[in-house]
Amino acid sequence: MKKNNPIIAIVFWSLVSFLTLFPIYWLFVISVKPAVQLFSTPDVILSDPYWGNYAKVWGDRLLRSYMVNSLVISTGNALLCTILGFFACYALSRFKMAGKESLFFWTITNRMAPPAVFLLPLFLLMTQVYAVGDFRLLDTRIGMILVYCTFNLPFAIWTLRPTLDGIPKELDEAAYVDGASSWKVITEIVFPLCRPGLAVTLILTWVFAWNEYLLAATLTNFNARTLTTGLSEYVTTTGTEWGIMATISVFTLIPALIVFGLVQKHIVAGLTFGAVKG
Amino acid sequence: MSNHDNTPLSSAHHEEEDTPAVSSSKAGFLPIETNWFDRLFISVVIWVALSLLWFRFIEPMGLSIWISNAIALALAVLIISKG
Amino acid sequence: MQSNRLGWILLAPTLAILFFFGVLPFIYVVYVSFHQWNPFAADPHMIFNGADNFRKIVFDAEFLNSVGVTVLFVLFAVISELVVGYILAQAFMKEFPGKAIFRTIHTLPLIMAPIIVGSVWKLMMTPSIGIIPHYLNEWFGITVNIGTSPVAAFTTIIIMDIWHWTPLVTLTLIAALVSLPPDPFEQAQIDGANKRQIFFHITVPMIAPAVVATVFIRLMDALRTVDEVWMLTGGGPGSATRFVGVHIFKEVFPKTNYGYGSTISVIVLYLTIVACWLLYVTMLAPRNKKD
Repeated sequence: MKKNNPIIAIVFWSLVSFLTLFPIYWLFVISVKPAVQLFSTPDVILSDPYWGNYAKVWGDRLLRSYMVNSLVISTGNALLCTILGFFACYALSRFKMAGKESLFFWTITNRMAPPAVFLLPLFLLMTQVYAVGDFRLLDTRIGMILVYCTFNLPFAIWTLRPTLDGIPKELDEAAYVDGASSWKVITEIVFPLCRPGLAVTLILTWVFAWNEYLLAATLTNFNARTLTTGLSEYVTTTGTEWGIMATISVFTLIPALIVFGLVQKHIVAGLTFGAVKG
Repeated sequence: MSNHDNTPLSSAHHEEEDTPAVSSSKAGFLPIETNWFDRLFISVVIWVALSLLWFRFIEPMGLSIWISNAIALALAVLIISKG
Repeated sequence: MQSNRLGWILLAPTLAILFFFGVLPFIYVVYVSFHQWNPFAADPHMIFNGADNFRKIVFDAEFLNSVGVTVLFVLFAVISELVVGYILAQAFMKEFPGKAIFRTIHTLPLIMAPIIVGSVWKLMMTPSIGIIPHYLNEWFGITVNIGTSPVAAFTTIIIMDIWHWTPLVTLTLIAALVSLPPDPFEQAQIDGANKRQIFFHITVPMIAPAVVATVFIRLMDALRTVDEVWMLTGGGPGSATRFVGVHIFKEVFPKTNYGYGSTISVIVLYLTIVACWLLYVTMLAPRNKKD
């Protein structure tokens, strides 16, 4: 291969990085401007930041409860999907069950369907059918945790399948010969070996659940509202408070960024959804 | 529990090379290899498309939707048996 | 001990959840689509009305328009992302200092929530506070208003989508390019092939499976784009950016015409499945030949 001038590459990539980062930077700039300054000439350089918006968002009890909801729902959902996905993949990779490859494919199709299509039936089912006495699944945290499984569980199965297929089944068999129970084999032998794959799955499903908006906006109205729906409330109802909106965006962005930093290397494999494999 | 069922899948490491699960695949007149489920799916897709086009273009001319359903059913039988 | 029964027990919770929140809603929406049902009307009961909803939908100009807009958006966005993504992936194939950092930065938009992306671009593009319309006007005298100009709104959404999703295309293409064996390229150079010939006769066929897979993922995601568009334009101005997902969100719930809304959902699902299935088949066809 021929030698390239690194300067050109660096200049080119600096430009691309600038284009990538600028919108995020601008979000931050808006969030630290008082409302009166917003409509003057847009300044690119940040001077004299104003933290009032942050204090306001942090001090808002409603928004704080949205944050708690978001945390509970995405954590609960990520744990549920990872554990169930792990069990499902163990079954798919170790047992010879009739039609399991078809089952695998049709499980994945759950994720392909546009969520907008399921808004109406889920809304109707959760208000009228999925109910015990007075308890309705609509607008509850547990309801949202279960609903998010429709897109996160197939994803977990998709990403965990290669991990489990990669663990030699001779290990299981050796343990069975030694007289271990199935439960023991799964939890004490297979589970620890899957840890890296499980961690990546857990974090990616967490980010997806954290980022979700459409279903949360439709299937909650007060008790289980999430941070992303809180964001849109500041646009549609109160004539748009730009600073607050930007601040909530920053609040929503930061956890995802932290999580991204943790698994930066592996996140790619998960996000590409197994596209390159094979 | 027969001994047969107890064998774990031996080719677990090679999921990419797995053949379709419903293994009655055969080559028919369709350009791709299909099993009966694929052909049923194709038939349903054709039925819906035909019905929608019929509603839009032919029913206003006075021909009943049942004619389109009959055509779709005939096509479905053809595809599922010969496809 | 290791029986199939255990396998099914392990799968059961997964299948149960997917059945109740995926399959059952699907069956339910198909069922409702054959009824006239408005729970808040004088007669709140479901009335079976055969295929009348489907008769109505093929003449529904608003819905057909939203399908057209969606197709246009998907074509523009996915093709641009492929071209830009390929150029960037090729640029990443060379060694240069700071490559890892640049790649991390390039990946950042991927993890951002679509709704945040929408609000970021809203903050940049809204005429009164946005920086882009301001400087376009000051430096070039161009007036851009996504609130009134359909073209501006549509273009902004495509640029936003490119900004958000090109990194995904870049990453999958990098993975494909890295795994290419060097021999055919060296052989071609020895045989005196020029760059264009190498690209079309060697590179393209070899990365084709990865490209198809990427298009597959992007197509699915682009078809379901709602959040960021809802945030940025709300489907407007007029119906210029009212994609099918936005259409459902905006039309069905406020109008509470659940029967007809279900019909829209069924048709959208039908179109999505057909589009994805066609692509899936073309993706699998070459693989099957190898066996």
